[in-house]
Amino acid sequence: MRAMLAWVTGMGVSWLLAPAALANGWNMPKGVTEISRDIYSLHMTIFWICVVIGVVVFAVMFYSLFRYRRSQGAKADNFHEHTTVEVLWTTIPLLILVGMALPATATLQRMYDPSGADLDVMVTGQQWRWHYEYMDEGVSFTSSMSTPTSQISGEEARGENYLLDVDNPLVLPVDQKVRFLLTSDDVIHSWWVPELAVKQDAVPGFVNENWVRIEEPGIYRGQCTELCGKDHAFMPVVVHAMEQDEYDEWLAERKAEAEAEANSVDREWEMDELMERGEQVYGSVCATCHQQDGSGSGQFPALAGNDQMLDDVDWHKDVVVNGVSGTPMAAFGGSLSAVEVAAVITYERNAWDNDTGDVVQPSEIQEMLE
Amino acid sequence: MWNVVKSVLAAFFGVQKERRRQEDFTHGEPIKFIVVGILLAAVLVILIAMIALTAAG
Repeated sequence: MRAMLAWVTGMGVSWLLAPAALANGWNMPKGVTEISRDIYSLHMTIFWICVVIGVVVFAVMFYSLFRYRRSQGAKADNFHEHTTVEVLWTTIPLLILVGMALPATATLQRMYDPSGADLDVMVTGQQWRWHYEYMDEGVSFTSSMSTPTSQISGEEARGENYLLDVDNPLVLPVDQKVRFLLTSDDVIHSWWVPELAVKQDAVPGFVNENWVRIEEPGIYRGQCTELCGKDHAFMPVVVHAMEQDEYDEWLAERKAEAEAEANSVDREWEMDELMERGEQVYGSVCATCHQQDGSGSGQFPALAGNDQMLDDVDWHKDVVVNGVSGTPMAAFGGSLSAVEVAAVITYERNAWDNDTGDVVQPSEIQEMLE
Repeated sequence: MWNVVKSVLAAFFGVQKERRRQEDFTHGEPIKFIVVGILLAAVLVILIAMIALTAAG
């Protein structure tokens, strides 16, 4: 009777606690794609199978411990093998595993089928930001964390999307099959957005594929989920899913901007406009390592008062465009435009009392890139 | 020979009667079990590959 009572209590507690814990933000999200809902229901099905097995196994175990305790004179029954029982406890788990493997494999097959995509986006991981390129559209940009450092250092209260905000989110249309081509410029990163059920490694020298068809407009946040160095925690992913017409409008604007920039490469730029643009690029791309005030940190050299850089403008250009092998300094010639590179070099040569008065024109950088 | 096949299949499954095990260890040469084991392992691999290929369409 008491054993019965303990068993009923145990069952009751686990059935009451489990949904409460799940509702409390501990569980994975259902997400906003068909695949993400499939994964969620697989997860829940397998979870409940595990719960039932756990309850049955522990109930039998605790009942036996209690019922056949030594103080009641229980004696161990010494026998060797029991073929029927052994066959049963081999066959039942086998059937359960196969039963779970079948729907899981069917979902995996659909996840690995990026064919028939309406839109291709190249996602490139860089220490420590993401670069997005809309293939065939001529639109590309970098997406860096925009959480202010004052919130990270604790001088200011944390914002709502602490460490999960970026300057340029990836904008995607809903109800379209979007294929991602993921790679990396430096080390292994991983692009992860739980609501989209995408977690895919970005590996240098390889191109991985994944895809989504987002069903609800909204903003979906994630993070890099492969330890990639000092600022791994500071490279969030933000996806902004829009209705098709809104997306078309956004894309047209970005295209016009890209064209205007491409056309402006050949003209002579003024110091002021380069400085303004350069400050923006520096804050988004360079400041994580070289610091906002150009003072550097650890292995990242200071740019303020850096004599080698200030004396040799060609060397400076080469470093930014081609990177420095064997160091974390990446080649930005591929991911930044000629205007952005020229602007940021001009900015670095004139900000923080560097005051060289040097103006680097986008056309000079364009020549290096060709 | 049929007994050897049965013993190898029992080993694949992971359950064997004690009486049969004693027999296997007192009669016949080990080489039979090794050869049949390798052949049946190949059959298992081919079988799984066929199932996977059929499932993949």
